[in-house]
Amino acid sequence: MCPSRLHRQLFLSRRASPILLSTQLVVTIWKFETGQPSKNTVKFNMEGSYGAPESVQKRFALPVDSEHKATEFRLFSVAAPHMRAFHLSWVSFFACFVSTFAAPPLLPIIRDDLDLTATDIGNAGIAAVSGAVFARVVMGTACDLVGPRLASAALILITAPAVYCTAIANSAASFLLVRFFTGFSIATFVSTQFWMSSLFSSKVVGTANGVAGGWGNLGGGATQLIMPLVFSLIQNIGATKFTAWRIAFFIPALFQTLSAYAIFFLGQDLPDGNYSQLHKSGDKHKDSFSQIFRHAVTNYRGWILALTYGYCFGVELTIDNIIAQYFYDRFNVNLHTAGIIAASFGLSNIFSRPGGGILSDIMAKRYGMRGRLWALWILQTLGGIFCILLGRVGSLSVSIAVMIIFSVFVQAACGLTFGIVPFVSRRSLGIISGMTGGGGNVGAVLTQVIFFRGSRYSTETGITLMGVMILCCTLAIMLIYFPQWGGMFCGPSSKGTTEEDYYMGEWDSAEKERGIHMASMKFSENSRSERGKKVESAPTPANGTPNTYV
Amino acid sequence: MAALEGFLVASFLLSCLTSTSYGVSFSSLQKTIVVSASHQQGKVLKAGEDKITVAWSYNNSFPAGTDSAYKTVKLKLCYAPISQQDRAWRKTEDNLEKDKTCLHNIASRPYSHSNNNISWTVERDVPTATYFIRVYAYNSADEEVAYGQNTDAHKTTNLFQVEAVSGRHASLDIASVCFSAFSVVSLIGFFSLEKRKAKSSQQK
Repeated sequence: MCPSRLHRQLFLSRRASPILLSTQLVVTIWKFETGQPSKNTVKFNMEGSYGAPESVQKRFALPVDSEHKATEFRLFSVAAPHMRAFHLSWVSFFACFVSTFAAPPLLPIIRDDLDLTATDIGNAGIAAVSGAVFARVVMGTACDLVGPRLASAALILITAPAVYCTAIANSAASFLLVRFFTGFSIATFVSTQFWMSSLFSSKVVGTANGVAGGWGNLGGGATQLIMPLVFSLIQNIGATKFTAWRIAFFIPALFQTLSAYAIFFLGQDLPDGNYSQLHKSGDKHKDSFSQIFRHAVTNYRGWILALTYGYCFGVELTIDNIIAQYFYDRFNVNLHTAGIIAASFGLSNIFSRPGGGILSDIMAKRYGMRGRLWALWILQTLGGIFCILLGRVGSLSVSIAVMIIFSVFVQAACGLTFGIVPFVSRRSLGIISGMTGGGGNVGAVLTQVIFFRGSRYSTETGITLMGVMILCCTLAIMLIYFPQWGGMFCGPSSKGTTEEDYYMGEWDSAEKERGIHMASMKFSENSRSERGKKVESAPTPANGTPNTYV
Repeated sequence: MAALEGFLVASFLLSCLTSTSYGVSFSSLQKTIVVSASHQQGKVLKAGEDKITVAWSYNNSFPAGTDSAYKTVKLKLCYAPISQQDRAWRKTEDNLEKDKTCLHNIASRPYSHSNNNISWTVERDVPTATYFIRVYAYNSADEEVAYGQNTDAHKTTNLFQVEAVSGRHASLDIASVCFSAFSVVSLIGFFSLEKRKAKSSQQK
């Protein structure tokens, strides 16, 4: 094993910020798949350029690999920088979800105060989720430029004024505006995933990402409990109905502001420091944005996953917006009860989204990428079926039960989607992730525009029709085909396409001559685990790059 | 999985049968009560401030004895059709258990043949909308048996508007603006602090 070549790979991976995430993700995903933690790490330590492992180890509370990424995920630790960053990122993402969906549980009060029609309410709900469509795509670039710490703190502080100003809304138009700008904050999803991928090694990055994403989404459920509670507390102190809801919005706004402060002062972008402090030498390679963009938009799999994510995550966002009002109006429960019922939808995120991610990895171990695709299709289809049922049941208790089952399937499908996203493209991983995330919000916009705006459909009919749309759009997963691994119905290409062929197709020969494709090469080798159980006897790649482990 | 789905479908069908409990139907009620409402200051009433006077009595053109079952009356503030448009939560349904036309209670009185009136201050939590007044007569089993309203059958005459309390206060406005400005200023502060830290670490 040639130390200088290895050194160059590491050097590139540390210095080149746009490939920073991808290389680390490459190594981490491969390690996570095959569960081989120590071989490569030991190799890097022996031949890499980061100093003696023991002295490095003393600086960190958690065991780390050669890139100083944590190799363990200790949920109840707040040790800097790894676990502290994890807790900061999921709590701030949670705060953003609480703010974005703070209005729906209080709508029965707000609609009377501001004299809203069903159309106004629908439009505001659409506005709340449409802002993040582009914000998510842009957030990936922002993380690259200034680091996830500053990017997320900045976004949170910029959107906090919108939450404060919800208290002074006095018309349908102003209500729509505040919900629109508040909705930008849930682009912190991208910074959360980016930050976790920068700090956690392959063995645990899947868990870190899944838990951070799931527990953040929890905010959409928790807010349905928190806001009615805060509202009734304020009412008991003596405020009238129409003032109490306004004061109530200060709570999520303050929570958001405080979390931004915490991120700024307590967080750290990378194990070794913050972006602004780390010295970036002139050897830093910056990948061309136009090339990354071109390879992202021309990969049809990214578009299909954006569509299907719109019908698991997008549906989740839609339900967060409409479900409290649905239970309040259809079953005549009081505001507090409607909030509790609606909350249980979002609260199942505590285990269902991480569970989806874990299931994806279990399926991949046995069946490879084809297993991941089948698992996603099956669970998302089941989600669609239970959505149809939800709109049809007329009794309160059965409705609640169906809703909970529906929530588990839909959120697991979200976790399963992000088990496939890292493999769609290696070069354009950031943009593909942003596209998929943005596609989720587009799905939310579409379903609300078609089914939950105005009075064309009753809410229960809208829910049933949304379930039918889930079933139809999920069929698109059948079109995903990886020539090196196959698709749902077809095996790998008979031409013997390898992972190298697929990922090297994103680089042209001039770029390969400059050697900037090396991280993709590594990833191609590592992704061989997506073939399924046959990976143990994987052959050496055709162009002669030797394996980097014994 | 199939068994679970079968069970759910069966229980949902059962629950459909049991959940349709039926209340009194509005179309079965007789309009035996004459209601009139009057108020000052033109047509728009301010919630929490203005008063409205309601007078109601039995319509003697109906046969005597029709009102023998009436025990109590309830006066309600009801939404006019224009305030129900595109607002499914105020929808009129014939089944009085599901009907959401009259969501605000004015008063409840024992039934008396004539000479009934009250003066009611519009409550603070009444939203901005167009209203009329309806009186329901209840029997001893607390079921609606008759009604009267101060408008016609199409609910187009004698309507009045209420302007709600806005809930906004100057102190809230100021607090919102201050906190918002504080957030933005903090952000600018963060960026300059970060630049300073980077410069000082470069100089080291």
